[in-house]
Amino acid sequence: MGRTEETVIEASHIHKSYGRVRAVRDMSFDLKRAVCLGFLGPNGAGKTTMMNLVYGKAVRDDRPESTLKVFGKDPAGHELEIKYLSGVVPQENNLDVELNVRQNLLIYSKFYGIPKSEANARIDSLLEFMELSDKTGAKIRELSGGMKRRLIIVRALLNDPRLLILDEPTTGLDPQVRHLIWDKIRQLKNGGTTILLTTHYMEEAFQIADRIIIMNQGVKMIEGNPKELLQSQMERYVLEVKNPERFERIDRLVTGGVRKDSSAGVVLLYSDDPNALKLLAGRLGPGDYHTRETNLEDLFLKLTGRDLHE
Amino acid sequence: MNSRHEYKPPLPRRLFSVWYRHMRVYTKNLVANGLPPFLEPLIFLVAIGLGLGRYITEMKGVPYLPFLATGILVTTAMFTASFECTYGTFIRLEYDKAYDGMLSAPITVRDLFLGEILWAGTKGFFFSLAVLSIVSAFGILSIATSAFAPFVGFATGVMFSSLALFVTSFIRDLNQFNFYFTGFISPMFFFSGVVFSLDTLPKPMQWVAEVFPLTHSVRIVRSICFGESGRVQLFDAAYIVGVTFLCAFFAIRRLRARLVS
Repeated sequence: MGRTEETVIEASHIHKSYGRVRAVRDMSFDLKRAVCLGFLGPNGAGKTTMMNLVYGKAVRDDRPESTLKVFGKDPAGHELEIKYLSGVVPQENNLDVELNVRQNLLIYSKFYGIPKSEANARIDSLLEFMELSDKTGAKIRELSGGMKRRLIIVRALLNDPRLLILDEPTTGLDPQVRHLIWDKIRQLKNGGTTILLTTHYMEEAFQIADRIIIMNQGVKMIEGNPKELLQSQMERYVLEVKNPERFERIDRLVTGGVRKDSSAGVVLLYSDDPNALKLLAGRLGPGDYHTRETNLEDLFLKLTGRDLHE
Repeated sequence: MNSRHEYKPPLPRRLFSVWYRHMRVYTKNLVANGLPPFLEPLIFLVAIGLGLGRYITEMKGVPYLPFLATGILVTTAMFTASFECTYGTFIRLEYDKAYDGMLSAPITVRDLFLGEILWAGTKGFFFSLAVLSIVSAFGILSIATSAFAPFVGFATGVMFSSLALFVTSFIRDLNQFNFYFTGFISPMFFFSGVVFSLDTLPKPMQWVAEVFPLTHSVRIVRSICFGESGRVQLFDAAYIVGVTFLCAFFAIRRLRARLVS
């Protein structure tokens, strides 16, 4: 087996319940070295629980029988070995606000037993990598949301992890910072780091994930390469009817090559044939519709439904 | 595949790194955190020495100020460890989410809280030492005979932090700590032989006092400072060790359930 074929995570038939809530149900996947796998799903889909299971922050159900191996080891009995090789970016920022940027990182480097001079050199190069060099002595309170997030990523990279676990790395950040973070994640992946990611941004999954798993209510709905999934699962075009009352005019004209989705007060007409949609659009007023190519969000909504998951 | 795959940081390093984290955060505000331990005994002794001390000159054959000073050597450790592992721990647990960050590193929940208990013990040592330096500077206790007192401060800090962690494991709202402090810690201050000798109390209350962990710290620290020793101190030491182990064991078990789902 070549190095690129090395399996980092092997999971089969994982279940996790919290009382009567079944957070993860029968989840199976595997993750090879230097691949980025993204878990997509609405809030409460079980994405974070799945991340936590990987590094021992949560423990999976004993029954039914399941296998979870990270670097060939079960997190249930080997959390230390696994965490030594992994970097974790949790959903919530949890930096020590009393300390400055370098002090936060130095304290963390102690957990890995990195000698101080080595730790300082590593901190300098990682801060430069995440474009935070001028913030080395800054207080945590002085940092913006995007800087804090990048600092947490630096912290996760201190021990040169083989597996990087990112739980919603760019939620709430502005587009510039998101693109910067995506770019850095791609660089890390190209350098051989394996990446496990959760997100509810379709764009994020499209940008950095080689493979995605769409989850809903603890269950894997679909798995594959994002672009291939889009091609195989979705029509190419969609006509969004913004004014659903007007739709009644064309409802009976919707024919075989067009799929209608009219849940939650919106009418969406999907088709591979742009002319079919153009024909329908011609019957609507100019401000009533919008035609575009389908994207991952359409696939996501198709699989997880349009209802709010709260 | 290679040795890095099998590696886990050894236990002493894991405990030390937690201890180090707390030490760095604490010493960040050295003036705000480091001065009160010296000021507190100073205020106390001035108030007692110039006030109450004029009316009570002796307790159990010992001059009152040294009697009281020995008690303060351990109550200061009790208070600092109790605050650290009630309010401090709860804020790290629920508000700052500091433990979630630390648990991403190669440490276990057990390492996390053992390191924290050791840190609270260290604070107990330091606070005891601060009191000792003040009372010996005023000639109330001799530093030569009391030099080991801060180690009792350490043990007291370890015991009370274990107890505090156990209490914290039940707490859902910060205000609930009021019950612990007014219902347990404060009465203990008065009924553990710190301010007056326990023999004056009615028998049933003496037995209650024996249940209070602080009573045992006070008796040990007095035996060191006044050079007495006997069987009872062995019992005291065993009591402290027992309470510490029991509380730490159940505290860690209960806190693990809150941190690892």
